[in-house]
Amino acid sequence: MLAKRVFFNKYSIGTKITMALGICIVYGVFLYTQGANPFLIYYEMFQATFGNVYGIGEVAIKATPFILTALAVAIPARVGLISVGGEGQLACGALSSTFAAVYIFKDMPSFIGIPMLLLAGALGGALWAVVPGILKIVARVNETITTLLLNYVAFFLVGYFIYGILKSPDAYGWPFSPRFSDSLRLPTLEGTRIHIGILIAVAVAIIVWYVTMYTHLGFRMRVVGGNVKAAKHSGIIVERMQFVTLIVGGAVGGLAGVIEVSGIEGHLRPMTGVGYGYMGFLVAWMAGNHPLLIIPFAILLAAISVGGNALEMHSGLNSSIVLILMGFILIVILAIGKRGGK
Amino acid sequence: MIFVTEVLTNAIRAGTAVGYVSVGEVIGQRSGVINLGAEGSMLAGALTAFALTAWTGNPWYGVMCGGISGALMSLIHAFVVITRNANQLATGLAIMFFGQGITAYFGSSYVNLQISGFEPIALPFLSDIPIIGSIFFHHDILTYLSMLMVPLVWVFLFSTKWGVILRATGERDEVVYAHGKSPNCIRYMAVVVGGFFAGVGGAQLSIAFSHSWMENITQGRGLIGVILVIFASWRPERAMLGAYLFGGSQALIVSLQGRGYNFSSFLLFMIPYILTIVVLVMVERTGWNPMPEALKKVFGRG
Amino acid sequence: MRKRTLFGIIITFLVIAIAYFNNSSSISAGEVKSNMGVGGDAIGFLFVGPRDDYGYNQAAYNGSEAVKEAFPFMKLLRVENVPETAEAERVMEEMIRSGAKVIFPTSYGHLDPALEVAKRHRDVVFLHQGGLKTAENLGTYFSNIFEVIYLSGVAAGKMTKTNKLGFIASFPIPQVLLNINAYTLGVRSVNPDANVIAVFNGSWCDPGKQASAANTLIDQGCDVLTQHQDCTKTIIETAERRGVMSSGYHCDALEIAPEGWITGAYWNWDDLYVNMCDVILNGEFKGSPYDGRFRTGIHEGVAKLARFGKNVPDDVKKLVKEKQKEILDYKFYPFTGPVRDQSGTVRIEPGVVPTVTELETTDYLVEGSIGNIPK
Repeated sequence: MLAKRVFFNKYSIGTKITMALGICIVYGVFLYTQGANPFLIYYEMFQATFGNVYGIGEVAIKATPFILTALAVAIPARVGLISVGGEGQLACGALSSTFAAVYIFKDMPSFIGIPMLLLAGALGGALWAVVPGILKIVARVNETITTLLLNYVAFFLVGYFIYGILKSPDAYGWPFSPRFSDSLRLPTLEGTRIHIGILIAVAVAIIVWYVTMYTHLGFRMRVVGGNVKAAKHSGIIVERMQFVTLIVGGAVGGLAGVIEVSGIEGHLRPMTGVGYGYMGFLVAWMAGNHPLLIIPFAILLAAISVGGNALEMHSGLNSSIVLILMGFILIVILAIGKRGGK
Repeated sequence: MIFVTEVLTNAIRAGTAVGYVSVGEVIGQRSGVINLGAEGSMLAGALTAFALTAWTGNPWYGVMCGGISGALMSLIHAFVVITRNANQLATGLAIMFFGQGITAYFGSSYVNLQISGFEPIALPFLSDIPIIGSIFFHHDILTYLSMLMVPLVWVFLFSTKWGVILRATGERDEVVYAHGKSPNCIRYMAVVVGGFFAGVGGAQLSIAFSHSWMENITQGRGLIGVILVIFASWRPERAMLGAYLFGGSQALIVSLQGRGYNFSSFLLFMIPYILTIVVLVMVERTGWNPMPEALKKVFGRG
Repeated sequence: MRKRTLFGIIITFLVIAIAYFNNSSSISAGEVKSNMGVGGDAIGFLFVGPRDDYGYNQAAYNGSEAVKEAFPFMKLLRVENVPETAEAERVMEEMIRSGAKVIFPTSYGHLDPALEVAKRHRDVVFLHQGGLKTAENLGTYFSNIFEVIYLSGVAAGKMTKTNKLGFIASFPIPQVLLNINAYTLGVRSVNPDANVIAVFNGSWCDPGKQASAANTLIDQGCDVLTQHQDCTKTIIETAERRGVMSSGYHCDALEIAPEGWITGAYWNWDDLYVNMCDVILNGEFKGSPYDGRFRTGIHEGVAKLARFGKNVPDDVKKLVKEKQKEILDYKFYPFTGPVRDQSGTVRIEPGVVPTVTELETTDYLVEGSIGNIPK
């Protein structure tokens, strides 16, 4: 089973716990040198994330796009492609769904409006993935580079439209798109910000896992991912696989975008979802590209991110101290490593 | 100043910092290691240089320490990637986040400070040449050094024994072993040198160009520097050119706006990236792929 | 068979879960408390940038310090670098969870997130800086700092020798356009041949871009630089280094430009913030001037003229002070018509005094300015 390639299984539970404790201690010492009480900080961070329903909800909200952008990386990774295009796909999904919501769907009732909106977002992301896909198949240009470059292009594209034709007439010149009508907003849990997106994200992860593990398509994907030559010999058209996975990954990334806009923001801003794509890449990588393992890792990174604000508020320390923690954790995990890295 | 002169002069001013990172990355990537963490090195260099200059009043200490801190940052990258064999892209991103966090955190008390830093020096005689003089000879010392650095790196890479060995490390390990050297050792050095350059680039940004420190002052310039290496087909002179192009697009916007032209700055910003893709396509078409072999492994099959 | 069961379970779970969700338009957010803002033990401030930016955020931060001093029994919850996205909602929710019933989101982009949170917590009072939309429990406040910027322009118009002044702006939003216009009108009132060159660099605080823009403008011949950015130090220092003059904004920066400083406009939020908190904590928010769009300015000392630089001649100082007095005495208003836009069309009729709301929705640049509102 491919899942076993994940480094997790190389080390026992005991080692993993020691590692986690080690990180906590080192970071705690660091906090202490900065004049904060590490126990208090950890407590506050825990309180803010898992200590109450609101916190858990916030972590879920943050984790949703991470799961999806991670899947956008993991799906092509199955066939050996390294895509970092989650950023751009998210942006394009957000953009396409905003266009759809503002110009086409407008006030459509939720039960058709929302699925259509999600489709529009997925389409936007998928279309954005077509470019690196074609470049890869036809011109054999490396997909990592093209997706990375296109992330920037997507970002500017969003800005171009928001300052241009998508600019809301109600926004007094500020760069926002018009707000989505209430019927097109994702349903939320009573009185909180938790929207249905987390369910969608988890469902998509499960579907991806199922398809990869238990269907013929998934089997072919894994063959290509394992050994391209063998795949070709057994008649699998590798290029088509590569293209398809990029597109599907793009669609999932686009879904992340539409969920962010419809579930949280309510309109498109130039900075919507910036950074989530790279977070997704890290989550996917840590999870060994395993669709189900992506979920807990996304939750972990989301928790650290949410905890950061609590940290700043209660310790008075600059919130970038959380970036330090995140970077530190990632470096340690990378350093501990798995066999056969690149 | 006339339009062209204005744009070109400011292209060099704005592009130098990126150019430092990029040329350094050329060295690193030629050995087979891509360092997305160059952004972190650049930030480390910018903060350290600023802080040292503020403390000691001597910007040269600033530059030296800036370079060293950039090198240290990339030493982490080298260790995790070479010795621990981790994924280069993921490690680079992690170091980028780490660098952003560390510099934002420790740098917060430096935001308001004033420093002397490096001032532009007009080279005698040379700066009086019409047009060319304004464009090339009214810069700070770090910019002049960067212009000198490019041919030096070029000579190193293509005309010296060590340059050949470095390039061999990126193309075929066996050759290097055959010469009795360790490719990993060379990679370490290449990455650390790349980090040093990135640190100096950051220093140029903070103590020579803007005389300021602000968290995340680099705003992605480090990443752009890494990408430019690809655009430059791993050649230092083209990397510097790419950096000037990047600086130029920034300068172009201000110059055009100042003259009342109406256009979308976003479309202009996209150009460097689209150009890079076009270059890549053209390169593939001709069948000549200049990417070092070792890097090809990082990016997966081809 | 097992796989199908698994699928079945997942789908059932999803269906049940979906039943718990409903559309946000039917949120019932608790009783409307008649005493909003009372009963908390903390006051929250959100800043979009770092507090040391020598500019916008620093001014607001200083205001929060005044609040801290005035209300020692209240916890001050301050978060910097809060992005203008729904992240801000989370920060505000956390503040409310920590006991805040009064929150100051200080950046324009925090308005929409604040409105969302306000819907969910009807007993918390929000005082938003610069916004144009209000709610039951959300009031906005701002200062007519453009009046002082006009004065700043008057001084600069007198001092310029090349008749070119550079204005580095961030985004073409109304507040920024308004400031550019005020400055230009001030300049042209004393120097009809001068032009203000406005460039939009797409960010609130990017020292690299600022240095770039400043250098380019100076190369174009500008001998006075001013800006609408969150952080102002880089531009003023660059101007000083290259020997041109500077006008300030947000902050009195005379110290960093001893030779070239003319004057500038800056904020003094201290008294206003303290007063606001006072009113709210006493349960008097509803019906107070802060419940709605509150605008103050030069008359109340919230927008102030900075000190004059050492190279400003006495006659210029005298002129500016005279104009200032005229404004303070309500004898003069900077935007009294006729005001024409760049194409010559009259935007404000002769003799007409526009309302603050009209000004805060400016979407054009006045005659005398060069530069385009980028699309």
